[in-house]
Amino acid sequence: MIPINDFLVLSSILFSLGLYGVLARRSAVLILMSVELMLQAVSINFITFAVYLNPDTFTGIIFAVFVITIAAAEVGLALAIILRLFRNKATANVDEADMMKW
Amino acid sequence: MGMEQVWLIPALPAAAFVFLLLFGKYLPRGGDFVSIGAIFAALVIFFPVLADVLDGIDKQGDAFAGGGKSWEWIRFENFQINLGFHVDQIAIVMLAVVIFVALMVQVYSTGYMKGDSRYGWYFTVMSLFAASMLTLVLADNLLLMYAAWEGVGFCSFLLIGFWWEKRSAAEAAKKAFITTRIGDVGFLIGIILLWKEVGSFSISDIFQYAEAGKFDSTYLTAAVLFLFAGAVGKSAQFPLHVWLPDAMEGPTPVSALIHAATMVVAGVYMVARMFPLFEVADPVALDVVLGLGLITVVMSAFMGLTATDIKRVIAYSTLNSLGLMFVALGSGSVTAAMLYLFVHGYFKALLFLGSGSVIHATEEQDMNNLGGLAARMPVTAIVFAIGTLAMVGIIPLSGFWAKDEVLHAVDKNESLLIYLVLLSSLFITGLYMARLYIRTFFFQSRNHHAAEHAHDAPSAMTVPLVLLAALTLVTGLFVFEGVGKAFGFPGGFGQFVWTDEPEKFDFNVGIAALSTILAGGGVVVGWIFWQGSAEPAKRAGDMFRPLYLLFYNRFYIDNIYQWAINNIVLVLGKILSWFDRNIVNDTGVDGSAGLAFFSGFELKFAETGRLPNYALAIAAGVIIIAIVFLVVTV
Repeated sequence: MIPINDFLVLSSILFSLGLYGVLARRSAVLILMSVELMLQAVSINFITFAVYLNPDTFTGIIFAVFVITIAAAEVGLALAIILRLFRNKATANVDEADMMKW
Repeated sequence: MGMEQVWLIPALPAAAFVFLLLFGKYLPRGGDFVSIGAIFAALVIFFPVLADVLDGIDKQGDAFAGGGKSWEWIRFENFQINLGFHVDQIAIVMLAVVIFVALMVQVYSTGYMKGDSRYGWYFTVMSLFAASMLTLVLADNLLLMYAAWEGVGFCSFLLIGFWWEKRSAAEAAKKAFITTRIGDVGFLIGIILLWKEVGSFSISDIFQYAEAGKFDSTYLTAAVLFLFAGAVGKSAQFPLHVWLPDAMEGPTPVSALIHAATMVVAGVYMVARMFPLFEVADPVALDVVLGLGLITVVMSAFMGLTATDIKRVIAYSTLNSLGLMFVALGSGSVTAAMLYLFVHGYFKALLFLGSGSVIHATEEQDMNNLGGLAARMPVTAIVFAIGTLAMVGIIPLSGFWAKDEVLHAVDKNESLLIYLVLLSSLFITGLYMARLYIRTFFFQSRNHHAAEHAHDAPSAMTVPLVLLAALTLVTGLFVFEGVGKAFGFPGGFGQFVWTDEPEKFDFNVGIAALSTILAGGGVVVGWIFWQGSAEPAKRAGDMFRPLYLLFYNRFYIDNIYQWAINNIVLVLGKILSWFDRNIVNDTGVDGSAGLAFFSGFELKFAETGRLPNYALAIAAGVIIIAIVFLVVTV
């Protein structure tokens, strides 16, 4: 079998890329995409541990199903918020949404 | 009604004070009748208490120690503070002076203070003073006595500064309060020293402890000297005598009550009350008492010789009398001191009230502007003469008998020097009192305007004068056994108030003759010097100019104190004030507030409102925590 470390490293790399995206993107939609990437990285992590450590009770795989479901719902909500922001300020640029500034 | 109800005597004026404080301004005439009524009621209650005390003496003889009632006020773990009142022979004598003189002064004030804008407030404070003074006399524990001691000091401050719009009066009130406060600190230290050893503030407990010999001698002597410091302040002995002449800025009835008859003798009373401690302590304590008293007697006599304000001269005579009382105490005789206190209360109040009549009639206080008033104010002149002769000590007035007792007491001390000093003070007293009387009442008036307005005062003011004069004439006779027994006392004064054993009055013709010759001689020489245009006095003044200036400027003691205040106290005050303003306030208080404000201002810039910044903060925080976690656990 492929050693477990490879999957864990893959998961970490995906998570870091996602984190970088959240911190460095200007567009709200792209930040959302990066968040999704982070979520999927976490799912991979869960499934790896489920297959390699607990093959009988597939708890991790159930968890991954939950994550996908919730991610989908969350995207719907987030896009609604971005839409509101766009209608208010005519921009999706996150840097310009600083109404809570001191 | 007896010794158990003695607490009513201070309670009634206290109630009058509270009542007047709250409702005084709504009452007609400012409520003076409430105050006078309370004191009169106290006088009425005095007599059954006196009867009960005499009864107690009859039953218990020499073992009688007084009676009273005590309530527990605050209870601590190992001691308690009581509200207790105790009356015995010394207290009876003091009450006789305080209550009667207070009544006379308050009645007199209805005439003297008439028309004053703060008439009601005057009587309110008078009630408070009466309540405090009576509490001081009757207190059975040192803490209550100290509280009342402070109370009378406060009332003195209020009354000296009664006309506070006048700068000199406000300054005099401040001076009086601060000078007596210095003594009071000593008094408090003494009380605390005694309490630490005995564990109780009660005077009888302290006496029991002392008589059982449980005090270390040095400790007790120190405590007793600290107690005496309070007396030095309150009774204006050297070196804290400076406030009494200035206290004459207050209204004259105030001077009569507080600074002649009652408050200033509180120090004498306290020493007399605590005398058993003085006897057990090292003899040096009584020597200090005697010494300071003697210095005060001499200094005040000289200062009285040159002062021109009539109230000032009487104030110096008060200092003189107080010094004599302490000389008597220092020689070991409570009898002589209390007798002098008793008669002094009446004749000194008489002198002050008499001078008040003069001031009221002529609006003048300076002797250089008076003279020739006897013809126009006959009643005042006569009673003032009685007071003057009593002060000088001419037989058969009360002052003579009291001075005789003091001389007896000093005689027992067997120090020729002290005896000679006292005899010379008799002569000088004759001199300055004669000077006062002659310059005020006799010969040509130096100010016709004042003399024309001179008239005998209205009856509210004259009746107290006459009553006090009558008492001055007769109270001296109480020294005789026959007189005392006729009134139900166990005997003469010496058999009523005594220290080791009752003293029968023995009339030593030699001493009596000597004192009368000296006192009379003083009066005669005074007549020669100050009669008419006072030529001999003026020549003497020019011949001994430096001495004259020394006495006139009160031995420059006020100047020394003022120098010390300016260069030590005020400088220290400036330093502390600088510290307080710049370090405590600007740096400490304002600084901390400023720091909070400033840091808040600077930190708010972290709220950029931009999501990526917040996300970065969260991510960085998580990473740091993870690293710390790894480092700490691994």
